[in-house]
Amino acid sequence: MSNTAAISNRPDHLPDFNCPPLNEVTLGVQFAQPKGYQQIYAGEVWNLYRKDYPLVEEQAPLEPTFETFGLSAPSGQIKFVTGASHDRFWFLQTEGDELIQFQNDRLLHNWRKVGDRSNPYPRFEYMIAKYRNELEQLQTYMIGLASDALAINQCEVSYINHIIVENDDELKASRWFRFISFGDTEVDDFKAGFREIVRDEAGKPQGRLIGEAVSGRNQSGQRVFVFTLTVRGAPKEPKIESALEFLSRGRELIVKRFAELTSDYAHTKWERCK
Amino acid sequence: MRLTEIDYGSSINSLNANIYQFSGSRERILLTEPVQVWHGEAVGQLEKLVHLQPGWDGYQAEPVSFTNATFALRMLESICGDDAPIPQIVPGVSGDLQIEWHTLQGDIELHVKAPNDVRAWHSQFTDGTKAEEIDLTFDFIEIAAWVKKVTESAIAITTATA
Repeated sequence: MSNTAAISNRPDHLPDFNCPPLNEVTLGVQFAQPKGYQQIYAGEVWNLYRKDYPLVEEQAPLEPTFETFGLSAPSGQIKFVTGASHDRFWFLQTEGDELIQFQNDRLLHNWRKVGDRSNPYPRFEYMIAKYRNELEQLQTYMIGLASDALAINQCEVSYINHIIVENDDELKASRWFRFISFGDTEVDDFKAGFREIVRDEAGKPQGRLIGEAVSGRNQSGQRVFVFTLTVRGAPKEPKIESALEFLSRGRELIVKRFAELTSDYAHTKWERCK
Repeated sequence: MRLTEIDYGSSINSLNANIYQFSGSRERILLTEPVQVWHGEAVGQLEKLVHLQPGWDGYQAEPVSFTNATFALRMLESICGDDAPIPQIVPGVSGDLQIEWHTLQGDIELHVKAPNDVRAWHSQFTDGTKAEEIDLTFDFIEIAAWVKKVTESAIAITTATA
């Protein structure tokens, strides 16, 4: 799908901006380790994508993540001491703005701003069409190993926005966010987060929307507010189609929530057009 | 899994669960926030189970999988109140595990076969409720009520003893 086609396929009911502060978008799934797969085969997995992603980097693995529901939301991070673990591989395009992350229980697709940060966001519809292909290629490969389709147990979509501060007035969080105000007091820095349950049509929990706003500096030393919205949870069925539905719904929730939680001033600055 | 690096300042450490960067060691380490007694004990038990040697049963049993252990702990966090009694955690032979409470009030057994695939069973002795078995995915609100009922007496005894 071309970028133009992606824009024309965008749902009409979603808020839209001509100059959003979007810095990075991630689509990902977590699955049970496929039978018959071992790290020695990671090169074969790279070969599935190597034509478009000719560069590779090794990273430490992501830990398993699960959203569960009951008395309260799960607390902090959990990491058990275990022995050897599968690396996480980045398969990168030459430009570096899109990459695939793969490990024995994950496949993610990232887009990010790079260089002078002028590379345009290719849009969700374009990204998810590519991601569908990548998931199907991986599934075909894994079926070849042991006849088992991917058993997807979690999905995650994240939008990471970098709001660059251009003057002292814009240092006030309330200039940008409807849900943060420190009154007349100026604070050195801040961090604010929230989690809310995402429910299905029947009102049952399906995942969580996780929001975080934090002040900091980017690699150029500019003052920024980083505003991250993530939707994570289990697909209705452990299949690719169901996972893609979850990601699409998560994207809609994120875009709506982004518009609800940011200020009119911010919308003017980002040229809200819908 | 975000990629971009931001300096949040020395006074702020991100709590965001989608930051997964590690430096140096390839070993996974334990970093958690125990706020309840059962939590620390459960982490300890699970750590032992993921370190079982293959064939620990004298046959071909696998150690409890890291993924199942992580899911089980998340499940317990959704089930147990602050003062919940410590459960027993028993390994299965296929990387699965079972979490159990056995009290004078009744019994609960939760078989974690895989993430989002849990068989739950309980029987209650005091109110005449028959044994019940249900399949669950990731919503454990019903089990939280079971645990509260079945363990109330255990909590009461602990409190009286103290």
